Amino acid sequence: MAESENVDELCSKHKAITSLLPYAVWQDLSGQPEMLSTLLHAARASKMLWFRWHRIRQFASVLLSEATPHAIVLVSPHMPWNHLADRGDLVQQWAVATSMVPHTEEVAESVVNTLLQIASEKKLLPYIPADTWLWLTKQPSLPPVCLGRYSGTKSHVVEAARRLKDIEILKSYLLLIWSEWDILYSEGAMCTSIREDFSQVGMGHHRADLIERLDYVLGQLGQGLEYLNQHNLDINWNNLQIMEQQYGKLKEVLLEVNIEAITRLCNSTLHFYVY
Amino acid sequence: MAGGQVSSMVCLTRTSLRQPSSEKQGIPLNQEDHRAQFFGHYRREAEGYDREFMKKHDEDLNTTLIFVSLAWYLGVHVLTWSQAGLFSAVTTAFIIDVQPALRPNSIDETAALLRILIYKVDNTTFGDDTPAIPQWTGAPHVFVQVQAILYASLAASLLSAFLAVLGKQWLNRYASTDMRGTAIERSQNRQCKLDGIITWYFDYVMESLPLMLQAALLLLSCALSRYLWEVNVTVALVVVGVTSSGVIFFIFIIGAGTASESCPYQTPGSLALRYLWPKAKRILHSATSAFGNASKKSKTIRTIKENVEYYDPWWSRDEIMPFLKDMVLEVPCAITIDVYHLGKAVVWQPTVTIYQLICAIVMSLVLNLHSMPSTLEQVLDPQPTALDLRCISWMLQISLDKGVHLSTLKHLTTMMPLANFDPALVVDCFNTFIGCININKHKAAIVKGLEELAEVSALCFLRAFHQLSAADPASTILGDIRKHHKKVLPIDTSIGGLPWYHTMGKVCRLTDLPLHHDTQWDDFRSGLSAQQQIKITQAVAEVAQVEYQRVQHQKVPRQILHFALCTLSLHPPALASVIANCLSIIAIDLGCDISNIGPTLVDR
Repeated sequence: MAESENVDELCSKHKAITSLLPYAVWQDLSGQPEMLSTLLHAARASKMLWFRWHRIRQFASVLLSEATPHAIVLVSPHMPWNHLADRGDLVQQWAVATSMVPHTEEVAESVVNTLLQIASEKKLLPYIPADTWLWLTKQPSLPPVCLGRYSGTKSHVVEAARRLKDIEILKSYLLLIWSEWDILYSEGAMCTSIREDFSQVGMGHHRADLIERLDYVLGQLGQGLEYLNQHNLDINWNNLQIMEQQYGKLKEVLLEVNIEAITRLCNSTLHFYVY
Repeated sequence: MAGGQVSSMVCLTRTSLRQPSSEKQGIPLNQEDHRAQFFGHYRREAEGYDREFMKKHDEDLNTTLIFVSLAWYLGVHVLTWSQAGLFSAVTTAFIIDVQPALRPNSIDETAALLRILIYKVDNTTFGDDTPAIPQWTGAPHVFVQVQAILYASLAASLLSAFLAVLGKQWLNRYASTDMRGTAIERSQNRQCKLDGIITWYFDYVMESLPLMLQAALLLLSCALSRYLWEVNVTVALVVVGVTSSGVIFFIFIIGAGTASESCPYQTPGSLALRYLWPKAKRILHSATSAFGNASKKSKTIRTIKENVEYYDPWWSRDEIMPFLKDMVLEVPCAITIDVYHLGKAVVWQPTVTIYQLICAIVMSLVLNLHSMPSTLEQVLDPQPTALDLRCISWMLQISLDKGVHLSTLKHLTTMMPLANFDPALVVDCFNTFIGCININKHKAAIVKGLEELAEVSALCFLRAFHQLSAADPASTILGDIRKHHKKVLPIDTSIGGLPWYHTMGKVCRLTDLPLHHDTQWDDFRSGLSAQQQIKITQAVAEVAQVEYQRVQHQKVPRQILHFALCTLSLHPPALASVIANCLSIIAIDLGCDISNIGPTLVDR
């Protein structure tokens, strides 16, 4: 059942799959990771943005203190972090676990997904260690339905990424959260970030990467609703229009900043040669 | 159960909760020990019950026999007047007086022959009148009627005497103890006999004896009244008056007994009426509603209305003739149709209802006959468990001793899973469980001293309920229990903080009652032994199965899945069998067939 790809069936049996999770974690601890893998497969196959294991709140402490780092990292994207807003200790335990697992595509995807979810909770955000943000630079490919990417577009997350003063992390963050699958919570903070953080003359290659990403996203959006719904059923006509406006605006701002930077560069060059 | 009633049992229970010596020493009893202990209690209860049963019926039969034998003696032998008593005097006088009227009167014939003889000697003695021998034209019609009623009365009393004698024999057979076999076998034998008494309506047959005597008395009174009416109306009126008063009084006590169960004037008639009254009311209601519907749909009324509206004859003389013409042509047809519909509604439907009722009674009798084993060996040999279950059910119904209940239910727990059990067992377990709860100001609490009984009865109830639901989901017992539960434990009753909170929660779920608040299972481990945890998870898994089947294989209730999640989340992990049961719950929700999977964790 949990191995099936039938979305409706998986959603209707969400509670049963949730109930099985603690047992799967114990199995993983005793060297039998198959059940946990199956459950995680089911969670991914459900394509539910909110396929989270809400009921495991009381299990969270046991999970993060007893389970293997690998299991912690893989299960944590499905934990109800919005209901654990007063558990900064859990974030620290999770961060320790992320530092112990070797990098793989699956692990990076889970860590980034969780990181963005935690960051979207204002109370938990301060507990994220700075070096954990470095996972963003690995730029894993996030699935079409990804709660972390959706909630990570909040303005305070953008601000947090900016406060790190690391342009690579900031760029990676923007490249990850800009996608054809989600509406942006607030594009205003991103516009500000583009204007203030990417306006320098020497950042042309960063802007080029961002423009390339926006072109890709807008190109995907241009393929229409039918195409997008094949992977994400949450998108509707209204969302599509809003996303086109949002990403169009971001591109405008980025092009504007880029022109300004080029203009400044030309002026500087001319100034150099003239004087 | 009311709180006061429960409290009053506490003192009794505290003194009567006797533990066997091995249990006192902390050694758990095995299945055979529980069985032996249970049948020890059973023998004691059975002896007391049978003593009362025999005494009651024996006294009734003796009274009947004395009354009937007197009547029979009086009726047949035309007894001497020295016998005292109203019944004997009336019967004697009546029979002596009426009997000669049924054959030719020899005195009249002798007188006629003498008249003829005198006439032959001197034909002027009687003038023009010529004497002749009177021709016998048969007994007067009235006397035949009276005598027929008399003999009907006599036959009824004789029949009741015959049944009373048979009843004495039946009772003796019931009381005779089989001296062979173990104490358990003798107890089972006794239970078979008792079951037979219930199945074959022994009580009703015994109750019918006084009814037959009452009928015999009534017939005698009627015959006397009719006879005296021919003799002297004034005297007859006195008898009719007294008889009528007696009949009216009897009807009144039957009515009173029917209306109130607490009325002391209970008779078999009132019991029968109390049983039949709801059905009669239903028939009456259906007839009334059918009549009301028929009158609303009356074609006659509709035809008249339409004609009046069309012709409006009250305002125009020219319209009166065509109006009357149409009425003459149409109304008879409409009346015929209405009569047909009315007859169908008022006669047909009640007839069908009565027919169904009779069919149900006949079917139940036939089923009883089929379900009854024909020989005692057949009863005892293949299904000792079924017999034990009947003994258990009987004990729970009869005994008031909570210690006996505990011993009985402990024996029941060793017999799970149940097979071929009487659905009434579910009710008995439920009643025992409810008897352990005291409700005060919307707050439920286990009566002090009855914690163990509450635990055992709740688990027995859950399992029996589960098995009944699986075997017969349409059983009316299930619905009745749900209704009863809602009455005893209303929705606003708080069950939080009880030591048996989980069990209570499960019972609430099972009986379709929403819990007062979201059930939290965090305290699952606190205060519970490993054995109790296993029992509870096993019961919850059974409830999950029931609920899954009840909602036509869709899902297990959220609360139960939450229970599984909480239990699996425990650190350190719960016992293997507890985990196995939790996995069963999840498997049930996922639609897996777990009936062929073993009970261990590895199997799961």
